[in-house]
Amino acid sequence: MAKVVILGAGISGHVAASHLRRKLGKEHKVVVVSPNGNYQWVPSNIWVGIGRMKPKDLLFPLAPLYKKKGIGFIRGKAVTFHPEGDTENSSPYVNIEYVLGEDKGKREKVTYDYLINATGPRLAFNLTEGLLPATNKAYSVCTYDHAEHAWKGLQELIVSMKKGQKVKILIGTGHAKATCQGAAFEYILNVEQELRRHKVRDMAEITWIANEHKLGDFGMDGMLLTYGSNIMKSNEMVEMIFEDRGIKWILGAGVHKIEDGVAHYENLEGEYKSEDYDFAMLIPAFTGHGFKAYNKDNDDITEKLFKGFMIVDADYTAKPYEQWSVQDWPETYQNPSYANIFAPGIAFAPPHAISKPRVSKNGTAISPSPPRTGMPSGITAKLVADNIIDLIQGKSKELHHKGSMGNMGAACIASAGYGMTSGSGVSITTYPIVPDFKKYPDTHGRKLGKTFGEIGLAGHWLKLALHYAFLYKAKMKPFWWLIPE
Amino acid sequence: MVRRISKYKKFVMGNPVIQFFKFLWLSLKILIIVAGGHGGTRKVS
Repeated sequence: MAKVVILGAGISGHVAASHLRRKLGKEHKVVVVSPNGNYQWVPSNIWVGIGRMKPKDLLFPLAPLYKKKGIGFIRGKAVTFHPEGDTENSSPYVNIEYVLGEDKGKREKVTYDYLINATGPRLAFNLTEGLLPATNKAYSVCTYDHAEHAWKGLQELIVSMKKGQKVKILIGTGHAKATCQGAAFEYILNVEQELRRHKVRDMAEITWIANEHKLGDFGMDGMLLTYGSNIMKSNEMVEMIFEDRGIKWILGAGVHKIEDGVAHYENLEGEYKSEDYDFAMLIPAFTGHGFKAYNKDNDDITEKLFKGFMIVDADYTAKPYEQWSVQDWPETYQNPSYANIFAPGIAFAPPHAISKPRVSKNGTAISPSPPRTGMPSGITAKLVADNIIDLIQGKSKELHHKGSMGNMGAACIASAGYGMTSGSGVSITTYPIVPDFKKYPDTHGRKLGKTFGEIGLAGHWLKLALHYAFLYKAKMKPFWWLIPE
Repeated sequence: MVRRISKYKKFVMGNPVIQFFKFLWLSLKILIIVAGGHGGTRKVS
């Protein structure tokens, strides 16, 4: 009998848990530890932030599903890692702290044979002074409750615009090293469309602010893509969309301080500037959770497991941008020190960024961190689950299931406005996610044709179809496993 | 110089009939790219 413990019940953790449960016999235990009681389909938070969806439309409680499927569920958060056990017990374990009910605050050792760390990122609002969701007129759409606050703020703004007040809206990244530009890109286009729907578009000045060097970088170093019969750069495509929507942009901006209605930033020229706003949505920096790890003698071995996020089979040797390679990126997401620990999704420490690092004239690093969206999170979680299943069933001691972001395609279906006939979407696919400059030297590291962009109503329908399909899959309804990650 | 979206392009982007076929084509194309497999990068066959 084997026990697999999964930390986190987001896209990555839930995908791993559901595949493990489906493929492993009932004699094996699958246990999920998560402080959150709900599963949420994060990509649809954007629509909660414009009031076109309610949180209930994109979440469901995990406890009843896990009970029905035979997956153990602990409402708690991981505190410390003990991969060698301790002096009392040699079984590896994770110290968890209950977050709910009578046991709230109580700690417990959860032992495991295999551990999947799918804890995702910590939303590090504290790294930008004054940046807190729904404070200083600045909002976030990173979670459904943040998005709900954002909608409340936007709603009040629309009311004041209807009364004749001119406003400034600022949307983008709230830290010099933030990632997830895609979510901010979706939100700015959705907000712009909603203002047109409410017939107040002419009352608002909308500005994009980001740590990107060029528009359309998305933390992926931009891309060369096919658009219809044209070949264009992603920055040209996004410029075209912003120009069409009357959206201004500020680039190379490292936001470092937020005051009531004022965002202070440093740009790549080393200038310190500020931008006024009446409503802002700024994505914070993402960091690891600051977990600690100890060996059996209780010595601190955190550096064996964590480098901010969890250390996996990546090449972490520091090297300049010109020497970065797809081979640096992990394939199995297995910790090199402890073979029974894995970290798929956003929980693994990337070897380096994907976008070229840039530093301001004052020496401040201002460039996007590498994104890891829902799709690669799902794919990497499934391959980790498949490798663990093989190990448990004794099929192999080698890890046969591999999936490097340098040999994986990704689709980003960015909503550009909600509505069955008036909606729009910007569909972009990239192959591979991490550019392979050796394989595709003339097309900025990516395969043309498989890297393409498309704009139109079909993109909105597609994003909506994915919303329902992935919630169906997450609820583990009949034949859910036929829907690919 | 920034490219512009022409009036004809805008018509195509918003026309439900054209977009229905685009939806089918997009779904298929994305499925092929995304579900078309993935693998490692370190062992070159």
